[in-house]
Amino acid sequence: MLFHSILFYVFAAIMFGAALGVVFSRNPVHSVMLLVLTFFNAAVLWLMAEAEFLAIVLVLVYVGAVMVLFLFVVMMLDVNVEAAKRGLTRYAPFGIAIALLMVVELMQLIWLRSQVGDTVGGFVPNPEGYSNTKALGSVLYTEHVYAFEIAAVILLLAIIAAITLTMRKRPGLKVQNIAKQVGVRAKDRIRVVKMDAEKKS
Amino acid sequence: MNLMDFLAAAPEMTLLGLICVVMIADLFIEDERRVHTFWLSMISLAITAAVLQATSPDTRVVIFDGSYVSDSLSQVLKLGAVLFVALAFLYARDYLRANDLNKGEFYLLGLFGLLGMMIMMSANSLLTMYLGLETLSLSLYALVAFDRNNVTSAESAMKFFVLGAIASGALLYGISWIYGVTGSIQFHEIYAAISADPSLNNLPLWFGLAFLIVGIAFKFGGVPFHMWLPDVYQGARTPVTLYLASAPKLAALALTLRILVDGLGGLHETWGTMIMVVAVLSLLVGNLVAIAQTNIKRMLGYSTIGHVGFILLAIFCGTAEGNAAALFYTLTYVVAAAGAFGVIVLMSRSGYDVELLTDFNGLNARSPWFALMMMFLMFSMAGVPPFIGFFAKLNVISAVLAAGFPGLAVLMVLVTVIGAFYYLKVIWFMYFEEAEDKAVLQASTDTRLVLSLNSVAVLALGIVPGWLLALCIDVLS
Amino acid sequence: MIGLQHYLTISAMLFVLSIAGIIVNRRNLILLLMCIELMLLAVNFNFIAFSRYLGDDTGQVFVFFILTVAAAEAAIGLAILVVLFRNRRSIAVQELNTLKG
Repeated sequence: MLFHSILFYVFAAIMFGAALGVVFSRNPVHSVMLLVLTFFNAAVLWLMAEAEFLAIVLVLVYVGAVMVLFLFVVMMLDVNVEAAKRGLTRYAPFGIAIALLMVVELMQLIWLRSQVGDTVGGFVPNPEGYSNTKALGSVLYTEHVYAFEIAAVILLLAIIAAITLTMRKRPGLKVQNIAKQVGVRAKDRIRVVKMDAEKKS
Repeated sequence: MNLMDFLAAAPEMTLLGLICVVMIADLFIEDERRVHTFWLSMISLAITAAVLQATSPDTRVVIFDGSYVSDSLSQVLKLGAVLFVALAFLYARDYLRANDLNKGEFYLLGLFGLLGMMIMMSANSLLTMYLGLETLSLSLYALVAFDRNNVTSAESAMKFFVLGAIASGALLYGISWIYGVTGSIQFHEIYAAISADPSLNNLPLWFGLAFLIVGIAFKFGGVPFHMWLPDVYQGARTPVTLYLASAPKLAALALTLRILVDGLGGLHETWGTMIMVVAVLSLLVGNLVAIAQTNIKRMLGYSTIGHVGFILLAIFCGTAEGNAAALFYTLTYVVAAAGAFGVIVLMSRSGYDVELLTDFNGLNARSPWFALMMMFLMFSMAGVPPFIGFFAKLNVISAVLAAGFPGLAVLMVLVTVIGAFYYLKVIWFMYFEEAEDKAVLQASTDTRLVLSLNSVAVLALGIVPGWLLALCIDVLS
Repeated sequence: MIGLQHYLTISAMLFVLSIAGIIVNRRNLILLLMCIELMLLAVNFNFIAFSRYLGDDTGQVFVFFILTVAAAEAAIGLAILVVLFRNRRSIAVQELNTLKG
């Protein structure tokens, strides 16, 4: 139990430190990476609270998709011209350090799980054989089906809005016309001309 | 639960299906025929209104395990929202065509916004309320940024987005505390939990409540969370402002009534004080700052803040009478606001937006009929009898008096007098100033007709306000 | 014993930090968007802590939806940011000053 508390404080401290870094870092790329670290630590803390499904979703959806979108926009907008000139390798050490930190944390957590059965701390532990994913899944499509449908609408709306705002039709852009390509026949491309053989002079 | 139970949610389902139809159809419509998207959207709105009428519930129906409620309040608000979105589309049509903004996405995002509003109006849990609010807000953010080549649009959209997202965050933080204390997210369960255990009415719940009020005040545009409103009204293109100023106010009213009255009615003493502070500040700031404005859209933005003060004070009373007055005020205010922005849209021409108050100079000489219509609308907003705005203000004042706050009633009368000044300024410009530009306003016949009906409605409703008031009282009893 | 209070405390700390970040930050809008993400993370912490404390899954379902909406919100926010950048060539917060009054 003591070890559990220590780990909680360590992860919480790293998370808060990373969050401080997000806010006060001078470089937006560093901010994004520190935000990744923040989210990862948050996921670890959620795992410790036995909210496994959401912890995984946080890593997959947030770290995997949303943060990459942020990074993409930061790079695309070319905010920090001086940094962008030196290319991506400049961020490599920083990125690797964050990745290593996350690996170490994961290993600690796995080790903790193997050592102590009850990792829930002050919360009432879930009963034996309880599956968080299953529990959430069973209410998501029954009790909360209306909310689920609305969430789908929101995602559709986000797609439409983002495309409306950012898609530009450039004049002179060369695109394939696949129907035309497929519809092409041999006689459109080569003309067989009948002619007499040339005589050697 | 069998399939027929879902019937109560038929309006939302129909609208969503029709949105998909419009979306697909718009893909195949060429730019020159974009007006077809407009007509398709209007047909969709008509069908939605018909389905709303057909599924009108006799009693309060709760479905989807308590996340959806259909009652007479949601019915009235939804019909109003459909009507005002249709008005906004109609007024916007010619403007969009003239200004090279003729894209189907305007109507599509508008319909999505309407769906969000309808979800909010029928929400019976904090979760559906939040999701409806986000559906509405996300479409509004995109609509404000709709003109991609306009710097002020983009800037106001960014402000709107950042502040809106912060407000959503605050609202959610409040929701999380209320969930933690009461153990439920459904309004009737929250209500039951609070009345069952008075000891819950304590610091943690008040903490959550304070954050909720911040979120609600922001979405309504109450001071001190109003910063976005004038900027967005001014920065967005006029048809978007028209959309923004009309139907979403009904949704904001639904948000307030559902959360504060349906869910947290037991805490009226606590939230009443907070709402009152926001309302009084809104009345003062909105009306005083509006005087100094030279931009008509910005001025109407500040005047909206003043009107929000009235609506919030009516809700502050906490009585059925007060809530009915709030509903009456919102409905009638939105009629006038839609008309006023409709006139501004109509006065704008290709490449030239009416922005300044002085653009109204000599409107009477150019188009006496529209000057008269604008005068009706301004009189109604100012609260001059016999226009409907007068009765709306009178109702709120009498509800506040009945609840025993004569000081607030005096304040409301005072700010009404101050407010009359800037509305009358518009009328002065229209009738007693020389016009630089003598061109007669051009408009298609249907826009002309609907705008005239819209403006005459504030007079007609003012002469016979009884039935609407009776309806509001009936809905909220 | 690590329990509800600890989770609520770190949530509150994150929430305050994100608000502070929004107020302090004058350099760039992307940071503002990131602060908003931090704010939603704080909210999610609250919901998970309460959900585990109450032994009720609703709170976790709520977090699921907040994550969905936050992703949509980030997409739209970044789209508006791109529009703004194309018009202004800048995303500094103090330069958002065309609209005043």
